Amino acid sequence: MNEYDDKWEDRINALMDGELSARDAELLKTEATDDRELARAIIEAYQLQQAMDAIQVERAPDSLRQRLRAIPRQNRTKPAFSLLQPRWAMALAAIPLVIITFSLMRPDTPSASEIAKARQEMAIAFAYLDKAGVITGREIESSVGQTMADAVTDSVNRAIKSQNLNSKEKEA
Amino acid sequence: MSRKYRQWVKEYQDQAWTVARYILKDAQEAEDATQEAFVKLWNNQDSIDPDRVKAWLMKVTRNGCLDRLRRRRNNVEFDESYMSGEASGPMQDVSANEAREWLKRAIGSLKEPYRSLVVLRDVNQHSYEEVAGMLELNLAQVKTYLHRARKQLREQLAEVRP
Repeated sequence: MNEYDDKWEDRINALMDGELSARDAELLKTEATDDRELARAIIEAYQLQQAMDAIQVERAPDSLRQRLRAIPRQNRTKPAFSLLQPRWAMALAAIPLVIITFSLMRPDTPSASEIAKARQEMAIAFAYLDKAGVITGREIESSVGQTMADAVTDSVNRAIKSQNLNSKEKEA
Repeated sequence: MSRKYRQWVKEYQDQAWTVARYILKDAQEAEDATQEAFVKLWNNQDSIDPDRVKAWLMKVTRNGCLDRLRRRRNNVEFDESYMSGEASGPMQDVSANEAREWLKRAIGSLKEPYRSLVVLRDVNQHSYEEVAGMLELNLAQVKTYLHRARKQLREQLAEVRP
């Protein structure tokens, strides 16, 4: 080659890389027989390739291998928050346990306001029962007679009075 | 240790080391540069496309080495010792080991990106497409630069051969 020729350079490299077709390779060799510079460039390319084949990837030294293996230990990043992590999963599982424990630890004796409210509800309930007993007695009277009605209403009234008495005794 | 990281170390540590060794020409610094590249790989492993880890790692290794060269500055200078005739005689008179060392030094004397191209393509045997990805060049640029690099090496080889 008398001067740098990109076209030839491409073809020489393609020849070295095995990318040149058989026909183009023959053509290049034919041209080289008439051009001493081209022939020399091809020979030098082959010589370089032979020398290059002797060079291989170098084995990393043992000291570097150890350093690379140690990287995960030395660069452990703080893991992101995740409910799937054991500590968070355990914390979540503990919540119901805490609630149950807390509810079991509550005192059995109701507060004064709870007692007052319960009394009020009880009085209303007994008043309803009283009325219900009277109404029931009337219905029975109309259908089966005064004697049966008296028997039913008396028993109901006795039960209500007895309940009232019991609750008053408890309050006392 | 992450299984995939361990696999990457096994597959690429020698190649990354070779790139660093050729660019930096200093074993200790090459170790440091290779380690830095793998630390980056470890820290970014979740964001790297697994199919492109090799290209990513070689690129990061090379860039790290070039940064070190820039900091060094004086070591970027052309190493002419191999051209002196004292360091290496005619190729036919030297042993195969010496010839290999001569060529390594010749490669090391190339300027960037020629040196990286020769190491990645001719030493590490990556494909042209892979090298293009590693150096962020297009295929035509890779071939043009590599051809120039090989031509320089051929000419240097011719000078020491009878």
